[in-house]
Amino acid sequence: MARKALLISPELCIGCRGCQTACKAWNQLPATKTVNKGTFENPPDLTPNLYNRIRYVEVPSETNMVRWLFVSQRCMHCDDAGCIRICPAPGALFKTKEGAVAFDKNKCIGCKLCVAGCPFNVPRYDEKDKISKCHLCSDRIAEGLSPACAKTCPTGAIAYGDRDELIAKAQKAGYQKLYGEADLGGLGVLYAFKDAPKLYGMIEKPEIPETVLFWHKVLKPLSYIGLAGAVAAAALHYIAIGPKRDEGGE
Amino acid sequence: MTQYIKKATAAEIINHWLLAGSFFLLAITGFGFLFKLEWMASIFGSFHSMRTIHNWSGVVFIIALLGTVFHYLPVALSWSKDDIEWFKKAGGYLSKGVKVPPQDIINAGQKLFYLFLLISGIVIAASGFVIWLMAGVREWVLISHLLHNIAFDLLVIAIPLHIYLGTLANPGTFRIMVYGTVPVEWARKRHGKWVQRLGY
Ligand code: SF4
Ligand code: SF4
Repeated sequence: MARKALLISPELCIGCRGCQTACKAWNQLPATKTVNKGTFENPPDLTPNLYNRIRYVEVPSETNMVRWLFVSQRCMHCDDAGCIRICPAPGALFKTKEGAVAFDKNKCIGCKLCVAGCPFNVPRYDEKDKISKCHLCSDRIAEGLSPACAKTCPTGAIAYGDRDELIAKAQKAGYQKLYGEADLGGLGVLYAFKDAPKLYGMIEKPEIPETVLFWHKVLKPLSYIGLAGAVAAAALHYIAIGPKRDEGGE
Repeated sequence: MTQYIKKATAAEIINHWLLAGSFFLLAITGFGFLFKLEWMASIFGSFHSMRTIHNWSGVVFIIALLGTVFHYLPVALSWSKDDIEWFKKAGGYLSKGVKVPPQDIINAGQKLFYLFLLISGIVIAASGFVIWLMAGVREWVLISHLLHNIAFDLLVIAIPLHIYLGTLANPGTFRIMVYGTVPVEWARKRHGKWVQRLGY
């Protein structure tokens, strides 16, 4: 099946937050009380009950006093997902056939290692310490529907579809390179940025932490190779040289 | 009649078994998590219960490890020329009939092994507690995850060798973990200095 993705176009977003609401409605997530901190951005961060949110970035300049960027923030559904790499519980985090990174709370053991593996600071935990994050409405897309956020978005700022088609469409619209096109094997959430990603509050070059990759590639295999090597060395020694016996005295 | 001398007290024996038992549980559950082994998890019930067992075995492990400090650390820190000589001859393990210098209640190799175990054991336990108790604190968990796995690799290499040396490679050694005693003649050849100090 063709890999699915979301294409986020901040320049089209009007900050209505219909996507936040639709997500909560579909995923049956309660609202959280927040306080006004002098910005329209609300809530201030992802929570276990908030899978996606609009980041409000104010970038006033001489020429444009009110430049306001609205950026959808959520799990990026990485192709090479750090969260899946590091998770010790099989099936707690998994890839759907559409390429979404979904989760199964029953299988999550609440170790929170995925926080350490994720380059985007996405995983959150519910009151039972179970993983909670955007799963690209994996239940909806499995039935051929679009995710609740994309379905609701009135301006097309969140577009859902075949990843390749979305990229082709964006290229036609003049976006040479999309954010997430190639990072981490290709993200499942693409961004059409007109400026540096940093301006939109995104990391320039997302990467799985070096230590996690080193662990995955070197330390993991070394554990059983080392164990087998030690046992083999002992066996070899036993056969070739043999135990220290006392026979014959000194 | 064979004459025996006491090499390990009851406290040392019990402590060593606690250390060994907790290490065994930690290592196999560790492999279970490392490679997401469903069959391993099913032995312990589930990945949930395997996590609980792993974490609490860690508590037993660190308590027993700190207990060993009273048993082995002072002697493990006392090095002499004989210890260096012992290493030069590889403890007599690499060929038959090599004579090694007289050793204390534990030999030079055991001293080094103990110091290694103490350090790597503290590292793996401390990093384990960070992963457990500071879950979600990214920077701390990342460095701990790395240290935990490095120490794991070192230990799963070193411990099998330790077990081999304490059983098959040296007949007569394993009984120390059961009875705490060894024949005087056996000890004289392996722990000459200690036997002499005891006045045998
Ligand atoms: S918290 Fe759950 S999903 Fe995250 S790494 Fe641990 S078991 Fe996996
Ligand atoms: S953004 Fe984070 S949580 Fe989402 S798939 Fe990538 S690594 Fe996993």
